[in-house]
Amino acid sequence: MTDETKNKPVRGEISFSELTGGDKALVEKAIKRGYTRREALKIMMATGVTMAAAQNIFTTGQTAMAQTPKKGGSVRMASNLHGPDDQLDPPLFTSTIDYTRGRATYNSMIQHSNDLVPQPELAETFEPNADATEWTFKIRQGVEFHDGTPLTADDIIYSMNRHLGEESTSVIKSVLASVQEWKKMGSHEVKAIMNTPNSDLPTLLGLFQTKIVKNETTGDGIGTGPFTLETFEPGVKSVHKRNENYWREGAHLDAVEITAITDPVARVNALLAGDVQLATSIDPKAFRQVEEASGVTLLSTPAALQLGICCLKNAEPGSNDDFVKGMQYIQDRERIVKRVLKNKGSIGNDTPIMSAHGPDFCHELPQRPFDPDQAKFHFEKSGYSSAELYVAPVTPGIEDVCLLAQANCAKIGFDLQLKKVPTDGYWGAIWMNEPLNVVTWNMRPTANSQMAIQFGPGAAWNDTYWNNERMGELLSASLAETDPDKRHTMYCEMQTLIHEGSGMVIPAFSNINDGIADNVMNMPTVPLGQLGACEWPEFIWLA
Amino acid sequence: MMTQMVLRRIAIGFATLIVVSIIVFLATSILPGDVAQIILGQSATPETLAALRAELGMDQPGYVRYFSWLGNMAVGDLGISKAGGATIASLIGGRMGNTMVMAGLVALISIPISIALGLWAAMHPGTWLDRVVTFGTMCTISVPEFFIATILVLILAVELHWLPSTAYLTGNESFTELLRALAMPLLTLVIVVSAQMIRMTRAGILNVMSSPYIEMAILKGVPRRRIILRHAFFNAIGPIVNVIALNLAYLVSGVVIVETIFAYPGLAKLMIDGVQTRDLPLVQACAMIFCGTYVLLILLADVASILSNPRLRQPK
Repeated sequence: MTDETKNKPVRGEISFSELTGGDKALVEKAIKRGYTRREALKIMMATGVTMAAAQNIFTTGQTAMAQTPKKGGSVRMASNLHGPDDQLDPPLFTSTIDYTRGRATYNSMIQHSNDLVPQPELAETFEPNADATEWTFKIRQGVEFHDGTPLTADDIIYSMNRHLGEESTSVIKSVLASVQEWKKMGSHEVKAIMNTPNSDLPTLLGLFQTKIVKNETTGDGIGTGPFTLETFEPGVKSVHKRNENYWREGAHLDAVEITAITDPVARVNALLAGDVQLATSIDPKAFRQVEEASGVTLLSTPAALQLGICCLKNAEPGSNDDFVKGMQYIQDRERIVKRVLKNKGSIGNDTPIMSAHGPDFCHELPQRPFDPDQAKFHFEKSGYSSAELYVAPVTPGIEDVCLLAQANCAKIGFDLQLKKVPTDGYWGAIWMNEPLNVVTWNMRPTANSQMAIQFGPGAAWNDTYWNNERMGELLSASLAETDPDKRHTMYCEMQTLIHEGSGMVIPAFSNINDGIADNVMNMPTVPLGQLGACEWPEFIWLA
Repeated sequence: MMTQMVLRRIAIGFATLIVVSIIVFLATSILPGDVAQIILGQSATPETLAALRAELGMDQPGYVRYFSWLGNMAVGDLGISKAGGATIASLIGGRMGNTMVMAGLVALISIPISIALGLWAAMHPGTWLDRVVTFGTMCTISVPEFFIATILVLILAVELHWLPSTAYLTGNESFTELLRALAMPLLTLVIVVSAQMIRMTRAGILNVMSSPYIEMAILKGVPRRRIILRHAFFNAIGPIVNVIALNLAYLVSGVVIVETIFAYPGLAKLMIDGVQTRDLPLVQACAMIFCGTYVLLILLADVASILSNPRLRQPK
């Protein structure tokens, strides 16, 4: 079947307009949530609809709902965290609320699409040389900052240089460490000279912290972005008005207000009451409440948000491989996804890579099962009969994962003690310090950066202190490899190394779960962060 | 005599403030992690930490930072937020206004209601009205405020859509819009603080009612209403004013849960944020404001009870 015939309504089959209210709402929701044709058909066919009918319903439904974007209206978003440390300076962005304000105010050189393909933004084109040791970026002409200053290569060079060098306090300094120098090649052309070849550089230039600010400024809210900054009160709110002089089509909304409601119950209530249209980080306990309420939708995007247990390899008991194996086999992964994550997540295979990373995910690697006998065997072989695991609620569900592991360990005679600690101060005092602790990582745009940051030998955030030379070789070699098959073999070897040898236990990945009002249309689903990786301000519109 | 006593109270208040400043300074410095570590969080590396610490001027010893802060504070300079770079005065300014509006409105509503209900219950002890009041206040005291707040949100905002679920201020609303935006937290706080004041008013008056001179008044045939309003109330005013002062101080400093649930940008929430980001100057400034509020309100309450009770004017 070609794409042409696929999209034509079939005569004689039931169509969208003939559906009853409830079914119609269901299909509408599926289309609005951005389900692909295949996903939507799968759901409909599971309810007993024939293939042809399902095709027809989806197509006619899409047509019925394919309205032209409406201009106007304003949206209020409630993030989960904010405080007096809220930032407008891109290199210091650390939270969803910063990222969102950055997205509304500034642009990056590169933008991520929903399937993580780098797209041109301020960089019109980006080309590597043959061995990816240099990247050339042509900068868009005619772009103006909010104060009318035209954008030139100087602004780009200045903004990018803030991530380099010893003085830099940039959050992503180590991520961009493969760049040696940014060179101005003309008024609208820059070149990145690399230390080591990196074929993934464009993807990294779409990170939240890479926003372009005006030369010699430190993020005062003057950007080239789709919204101009009206007011900004750290820890309270910010108000943004549409930039009428935007270089692209421009935002549909007149204004956005960005605030946070730190209490998860209050955040859900505000969404249900209609006081906010977008709410981040819906707690698993509230999934049903949001799904059943009218007027709001739970937007659940599969992503590699790992629920991890770190067993430090440089300390007891993690230094013992059998102990780690025991911890891995005792994870009841299916139950975690079903009960703890309420099916809004995916099973992990003790590597940080999963299907959302695309072709670099190693499907071939056998899934480690829940096997108490194996766990018992390995624990006994390790010689340990008890251990203490530090747990803080760093991500929803992680405490339940540990409680489940504790219960299952007790059944095989292993005493896993949980030491509950607050998240406040956790990253400085517990993580990477206590022998057994929990961790979560935001999804990185490439499998390579995801593994390099956490498993590269000597990497600053190698949070299990697992230093494997072969891993290091593969991490850099794979960046220079352009043959897809060879590249995949390399990525598979890396995932196998982590799966077999590291001290990481990753039983599951959480989806990104946000709540959105039903009249919010065209919501992006980039899996790198909350609310479509904060890409929404420029693209959504209100029906 | 009177002025001397007030002056002594003020001196004690100042000493309290100094002691509190030392305690706060020591307590915040034993918190795990510093502001640089908290800002960078999971993305901290030794190099970025060192760079940020140097930038924030945190490489000086503790006592130097303490005395320079105390000196600056004395001349009204609260310093600069370590976390965001804004001046603390600007961070606190708006929040202080919000807190005062909320505390003022709650006081305006709850104090008259509480005293009236307390007096009423004391006038008719043992009747069903009295029982309803005592039982009701006992219930609201026992239930945590976040629970009251959540129940109110579920009923009035989520189900009925009468009121907004959060106290979101745009900054240019009219007085009625302001009242509507603040209605939910106001209601919650009025319920929470009134209960204590009602009980204290009732208990204070009933306590005085058992003293011999009231018995004398009863024997003389003075009507009960007159006994309470003319004789008992003024003798019971000391403890009542004290409880009112404590509740007002609580409204300024301790309503962090209500501020969190209704996302209301007040001072208490700012201080918690300050603790979480290890923003020591901010925490210290908030702590001093809270401590100052307590000292001031208790001072006023003491003065009020001295004025209302001539016996206290003579030192023993």
